Amino acid sequence: MNSLYLQVDSLIHSLDPRTKMIFVIFVVISSFVLNDPALQFVLLVAMFPLVVIGKLVKPYLISIQFLLLFAVLIMTVHGIYNPIGVTPVFELFGLTFKYESMVYASVMSFRILVIGTAAVLFVMTTHPSDMASALVKWKVPHSLAFILLSTFQIIPIIAREAKIVMEAQQARCLDVKGNLLQRVKNLVPMFAPLFIITFMKVHQLSYVLECRAFSRKGNKTSLHETKITSVDYAFLLGMVAVLLFEVYLKLYMMGSMQLTTDSFLIISLVSTWAICGLLLVKFLLKKVQTALGGIN
Amino acid sequence: MSAEKPAIAVKGLSFQYPDTEEKVLKNINFTLNNSEILGIIGPTGAGKSTLAMCLNGLIPQIIPGEIEGEIFIKGIDVSQSTVSDMSEHVGFVFQEPENQLSQMTIEEEIAFGMGNLGVPREEMEDRIIDALRQVGLSGFEKRSPLALSGGQQQRVAIASVLAMRPTIMIMDEPTSMLDPKGKNEVYGVLRNLKEYGMTGIIIDHEVERIATYCDKILVLNEGEIQLFGTPEEVFTNIEFLHRLKLNGPQVTEFVYKYNQEFNRELKLPTYLEEAVTVFEKEKI
Repeated sequence: MNSLYLQVDSLIHSLDPRTKMIFVIFVVISSFVLNDPALQFVLLVAMFPLVVIGKLVKPYLISIQFLLLFAVLIMTVHGIYNPIGVTPVFELFGLTFKYESMVYASVMSFRILVIGTAAVLFVMTTHPSDMASALVKWKVPHSLAFILLSTFQIIPIIAREAKIVMEAQQARCLDVKGNLLQRVKNLVPMFAPLFIITFMKVHQLSYVLECRAFSRKGNKTSLHETKITSVDYAFLLGMVAVLLFEVYLKLYMMGSMQLTTDSFLIISLVSTWAICGLLLVKFLLKKVQTALGGIN
Repeated sequence: MSAEKPAIAVKGLSFQYPDTEEKVLKNINFTLNNSEILGIIGPTGAGKSTLAMCLNGLIPQIIPGEIEGEIFIKGIDVSQSTVSDMSEHVGFVFQEPENQLSQMTIEEEIAFGMGNLGVPREEMEDRIIDALRQVGLSGFEKRSPLALSGGQQQRVAIASVLAMRPTIMIMDEPTSMLDPKGKNEVYGVLRNLKEYGMTGIIIDHEVERIATYCDKILVLNEGEIQLFGTPEEVFTNIEFLHRLKLNGPQVTEFVYKYNQEFNRELKLPTYLEEAVTVFEKEKI
């Protein structure tokens, strides 16, 4: 299986894909409504219990590492160089971090993390076929849902064909270990046949689909039925409540609240550095280990 | 109503691809009755696949070209209905197993065609189990089609067509990618079609198996029907087949050679059991 879906039995998995899609949209809206790093941090932390319920803690942490890399880059570079910053917060190696630019950078980084978390939750708990049938329920055309679904299927096929083409061309003395320029030149004899093969395969598949009544008019049925249960309704209600609360916060409380302090900004910046540093050390250790293992 | 009409009636069929000089099919006429199995043999490039694709309307609706003549499936004029509508009556299995699979799991693969026909879910589940049993892949429901061997993939493709319950099944060289065991299984499915009252058409180069399992044989060469009849009628005409650079089943070839070498007049058998009987009589 070539998707990120993880087959686990959990409450989140049993939710209707439509609820989960709405959840992603809700998170995206929230991350824009809560235009404040501290509140976004609260939102991020509030989503973690969902990850725990979905039994996805380990795969979630692995996939969020990549997003953290973005966060570190944005926070550091923006904090120093973004021209909107006026008030200095602290100084490091002669470079000044300014308050306004740090707020801007934190908002952006937390937004990436928050939306990333929601996306990971969705992708890891929703089977692609379920997603396709849910989309069809939303009156998305059948062919579009099929295209979405078949992408998962065609990637491994193309990968396999690419390997075959590469081996065939190597057998015809194509130099794949030359210098960079040579390798770039070699992309043509690799990709031209691959493109043609893929095109032919898709063409053939279109005949097959036609023979399986794909473009037939009338009612279509699906093996997987997605049902909206009371849990889905509870989830949806919860989302609406949170969203209303966010809007209320935004409209009436923003003036009187000052959550985003200098120390918060510094702590979040330094802690992302620390986490990234730890990951880097771990990565390097692994490299060294494999290198040593290679010598032995 | 449809029971009285022949399963397939082809009248004066000719076809030419846009990019070729010569016609691929020339004045093809034949009829096939219900629950008969037809084997189409002929050298490569004879137009076997083209003929098969004409029967369910893939030609000329999806693959363009100049077509003449009429084709009736169960009394329905193929040119008057779409390929998708025809798929209720005619199932088509292609040569390449991998290209026929598009879903994440085998049960979804089999359910795909049924879903397009609007089969209710409860019935789908029964049909999936039934179709997988017919092709000998019971218990494979949750597996990914890409993780199977070529033979298994082809059987999944056959199962997904079977689940749509067409009355006619066309298989275009379904066994060319398969090992002997897989070949036997495909032919086993073909024989079972009769029990379900289905009509079958198979294109293949395996003359031995065709002679054993088919009721009618059609020999195609350069777009023309050379011979059409029961396996006995076709394969006993072995000198004619040799002129077309085709071979008969090994047992037929053997007795033919035996007759020639030792000047005998033994009846030409077409399948193994018959050959044994012929030889048994000869001894006495």
